[in-house]
Amino acid sequence: MDAGVLGAWMATGLTLFIFSFLYKDNPLFKLAEHLYVGVSVGYAIVKTFDSVILHLIVKPIFEQGEFSLLIPVAIGLLMLTRYVPNAAWMSRYAFAFIVGVGSGLAIPRTISSFILKQIEDTVRPLLSLAGQDGVAFSVNLLNPASNLNTIIILIGVSSVLFYFFFSIEHQGPGKVVARTGVFFLMTAFGAAFGYTVMARMSLLIGRLTDMIEFSDASYGRPTLWLTVLTIAALALLTRRRENEPSTSDR
Amino acid sequence: MSFSERMLKIDRRIIFVVIGLCTLLPLLYPVGLPIKISPEVRSVYDYMESLPPHSVFLLSIDFDPASKPELHPQAVALLRHAFRKDLRVVAMTLWVSGTGMAEQLVTQMAQEAGKENGKDYVFLGWSPGGSAVIINMGQDLYTAFPSDYGGRATKGLPVLDGVYSLKDVTYAVSLGAGVPGVEAWYVFGKDKYKFELAGGCTGVMAPGLYPLLRSGQINGLIGGLRGAAEYESLIGQKGRAVAGMDAQSATHLAIIVLVVICNLFYFSLRRQAKLQSQRSS
Repeated sequence: MDAGVLGAWMATGLTLFIFSFLYKDNPLFKLAEHLYVGVSVGYAIVKTFDSVILHLIVKPIFEQGEFSLLIPVAIGLLMLTRYVPNAAWMSRYAFAFIVGVGSGLAIPRTISSFILKQIEDTVRPLLSLAGQDGVAFSVNLLNPASNLNTIIILIGVSSVLFYFFFSIEHQGPGKVVARTGVFFLMTAFGAAFGYTVMARMSLLIGRLTDMIEFSDASYGRPTLWLTVLTIAALALLTRRRENEPSTSDR
Repeated sequence: MSFSERMLKIDRRIIFVVIGLCTLLPLLYPVGLPIKISPEVRSVYDYMESLPPHSVFLLSIDFDPASKPELHPQAVALLRHAFRKDLRVVAMTLWVSGTGMAEQLVTQMAQEAGKENGKDYVFLGWSPGGSAVIINMGQDLYTAFPSDYGGRATKGLPVLDGVYSLKDVTYAVSLGAGVPGVEAWYVFGKDKYKFELAGGCTGVMAPGLYPLLRSGQINGLIGGLRGAAEYESLIGQKGRAVAGMDAQSATHLAIIVLVVICNLFYFSLRRQAKLQSQRSS
């Protein structure tokens, strides 16, 4: 059998098995789920072994004589001492090295990229209010750079930050500001939820598009045959479960 | 039990069937609803259009088959555009689980455009380290990727002529489905080595990346299947994303209708309960 055709049958069958969970939890779904996890982990292990162990460690050391690579290899091997209780303390050197390098790389860059740049972008547009011809104010909701939107963003950021400020009680004018923050948060959550729905539907569209493609005669119509088989298997499993004596009857 | 109560306790499988049909029917019988181009997708397209031939275009395919329906059409559209513009394409991935898929994608698009491996494009594959790979590439591309996916030495490849680090990349696009992805490319790549960067992402991630877009940290954003459909429309090669947009619109409409109906039943039940309590008192 052609590999493409075999792949089509596998993909269709596993998709239908996963979708069968929408009816109820069943052995077909569990089979597909375990296969997915197993194949993903197996693929990652094989790829990592080939790309890292063989191409970046073994070959350079033995073929090109790059013995300096033994230093990172030794640090990496120290991590495995976690499995030997008496030598587990040695793994701390490896973790200290990794945490140190990771923090050193990440902290300054993250502060610069996410905190400072974002604060700058929230405040800087206010300067655009004062142009060469005095103070001007542009009103255009569709243009993110318009002054009206700048003011809305500033109000939104300030009120949301105030909402998460718990050192004073949200009373009086503070309550109004906190409520405004909640309004902005709800709007943001709504937008995020809309995008999430779109993403999930896109995944469904992707699977269904493949299944429509695999209903073609050139593949042997796996979509049709496997749909019938899956429904029959589900019906059989349900009937068997119904006929099983309940624990109270035994 | 009143009608509203029965409707609010409806079997969830009926809703699954409704959503399934709303997705399947437009795929089988497309209507061809118009697709409006958003400014964030247009800016990626415009920047690509402005690049002279033989500029270095880096495409980081940072996703795996789990996000394929959304990000694969984006990658296809971007590669078609890059090859049509005769750009030098340098493709890679930061996700080990997406390596095979990425290689297949790049090879297929290059064959479609009649491009030669090593001369017009290269697929570098995957290298361990996540964000550290980006920093390594910024210092020296050849230490991060001494060989390409096929095992050929990257030094001396015609496609990488004059390219020593990320500073020599004209335009980079990261199609990310998580970490490391677009944010890592900005933090450890663009912010440090100063090259123009755009992002493509799944729908779930898009709201989180808009702040980077508005502040100019990335120059464009292709969000989810919709973004891919917009890009396909812009390059004039409609593919899987455009085909899926009718289904997307139909399911959105179905969900809106379901939310409205459920709210109506919920408020009608509350009103009934209020009236009953008034009568009893």
